[in-house]
Amino acid sequence: MIFRRLAVAVAVVVAGTGLGLAGMSVPSGASPRTEGPGNTAPLRSCTYSAIQPFLYSPGHLTVATDAPAYAPWFEHNRPSDGKGYESAVAYAVAKRLGFKPSQVKWVVETFNASYAPGPKHFDFDINEISVTKTRAKAVTFSSGYYTDEEALVALKGSPITKHHTPAALKTYVYGAEIGTTALQYINSRIHPIHTPATFTTLNDVKSALVDHRIAAFVTDTPTAQYIATTEIKHATVIGQFPVSNQHYGLLFQKGDRLVKCVDKAIAVLKRTGVLHRLAKKYLRVYTSIPVIKP
Amino acid sequence: MPAEGSTSAGVTPLPSAPGLPPAIVGSPGGPDPVTGGGLLGGDPFRRRSRLFRTERGRVVTSTVSTLAVLGGIVTAFLLAPGSRQVRSVFFNAHDMWRAFIGDPHTGFYSVGKGILLNIEMFLVAEVLILVLALVIALVRQSRSPVLFPLRMLAIAYVDFFRGVPLILVIFAIGFGLPALYLPVISYQSAVVYGVGALVIAYSAYVSEVYRAGLNSVPFSQIASARSLGLRPRTALRYVVLPQAVRTIIPPLLNDFISLQKDTALVAVLGVVIEANRAAQIFSSTVFNYSGFTVAAILFLLLTIPLARFTDHLIARDRARRLAGST
Repeated sequence: MIFRRLAVAVAVVVAGTGLGLAGMSVPSGASPRTEGPGNTAPLRSCTYSAIQPFLYSPGHLTVATDAPAYAPWFEHNRPSDGKGYESAVAYAVAKRLGFKPSQVKWVVETFNASYAPGPKHFDFDINEISVTKTRAKAVTFSSGYYTDEEALVALKGSPITKHHTPAALKTYVYGAEIGTTALQYINSRIHPIHTPATFTTLNDVKSALVDHRIAAFVTDTPTAQYIATTEIKHATVIGQFPVSNQHYGLLFQKGDRLVKCVDKAIAVLKRTGVLHRLAKKYLRVYTSIPVIKP
Repeated sequence: MPAEGSTSAGVTPLPSAPGLPPAIVGSPGGPDPVTGGGLLGGDPFRRRSRLFRTERGRVVTSTVSTLAVLGGIVTAFLLAPGSRQVRSVFFNAHDMWRAFIGDPHTGFYSVGKGILLNIEMFLVAEVLILVLALVIALVRQSRSPVLFPLRMLAIAYVDFFRGVPLILVIFAIGFGLPALYLPVISYQSAVVYGVGALVIAYSAYVSEVYRAGLNSVPFSQIASARSLGLRPRTALRYVVLPQAVRTIIPPLLNDFISLQKDTALVAVLGVVIEANRAAQIFSSTVFNYSGFTVAAILFLLLTIPLARFTDHLIARDRARRLAGST
């Protein structure tokens, strides 16, 4: 008896809460919180003071990336030292928006959480994220700050380094980090016979290559070069796939209005050659990599 | 009795305090002049209690209560400010279907096909666990001094593998063994390593379940079996084990339901595209979590029948025991 009455009471309370919530949210409209915290005013200009109300934490530019942060996009897993291409780009954008380097705050956001619905705890995420149309339905991207090229990495002397005609390429076991466009690349361009191996982190992919569990893996060219020259000495970059028109963009909360100002900043950085100079410094411009056609 | 407002006190508290028995609500000393009217049909509490007394009344009440609870939750969900976005990200029918059938050329695999791999891994692991765990439990229960080192080993095994997170065991075996370059052992597929890790870790848990079952058999049973002339091994086989296993079927199935879900962890080894990993790849490719919803539904379709089956076994076992005791 007591339990049943308790159940009825709970039901009434829950229903009441539901109705209460309904009452609260109906007047404000059932639109998701895609705007800055509690302000609906349009962003009129991109001056330092004008953008303050549109920041996650006014007075700071809060930038997110995953941990570990991989080279050559970051150095020594320390995004805040301004070294590495993406770290340098983030500070360059911050400077264009009027922030001092000390006002840039870094937070960790795993890739899989970066596109979750609901409020974000950063202004933008910079994490080698390729812009695609389907992804843009869930988040807002800035314009590209780097054109994504994918390359094939294998161990020196392994069969794939000698035999990589389009037909031969189909016969190997490939690896890729999940969430990267590399997997899509392998499946849509190479069409391998064996299902490619997908790993949670790039470090797992590398260990799989070293242990001969995969014949080769696909990743973006700068990362591939870095791994082959610095991390795995007996690895080599077999070649780069033809340019794909994909680029990396900064990830914002869907509908975030700050993106307008960041896009302007990126456009200036592009026009004045800053991005090119940073790419040359951190990513080097590798012209010697052969292009392979799958 | 309250000094003032005694006339209304008898009537108004009733609807707001339906949980109180009438003796407390009504006046303690004799019939209240006002609540007397309530007894003629205006007393909501008495009506409700009569409602509970009939079978139909109970069904109606529980239905209404269930609908109110579910309705409240659904209303809160639908009218939440971010509801539309959450629905499109987690429960998008189109994306759920795409995740279910998969599309490798766009970069993601079928969650529906993935669940088949989960089932395969689960079935193979389950058989091996039942055998290995029984061996461990029997070793731990043994009394022979010759087996002392094995007993110690069994205790250490159970302590270690129950204490270490499963994912670390999977990593150690799946990434460690291939790196050793041993003949045969280092050249197995990731699924084999994954299932191996599940068997090793779960056997530690299940051996303890077995042990509890073995301990639950009263010593008088063993004594009677021995007095009938059964040798220790025969007594174990025909007297102790059947009773022990019957007792532990519910906790065993409990462990197997969680094993079903933990097959998803094998995906960290890379080549294994099971349902959860397929969903993960889908979500990171298109930035939509509907694939996880599909995987969750598929796992529920597997585990709920197993849970009901466990309930059925428990009920049957209980009925048998009660029948035996009278």
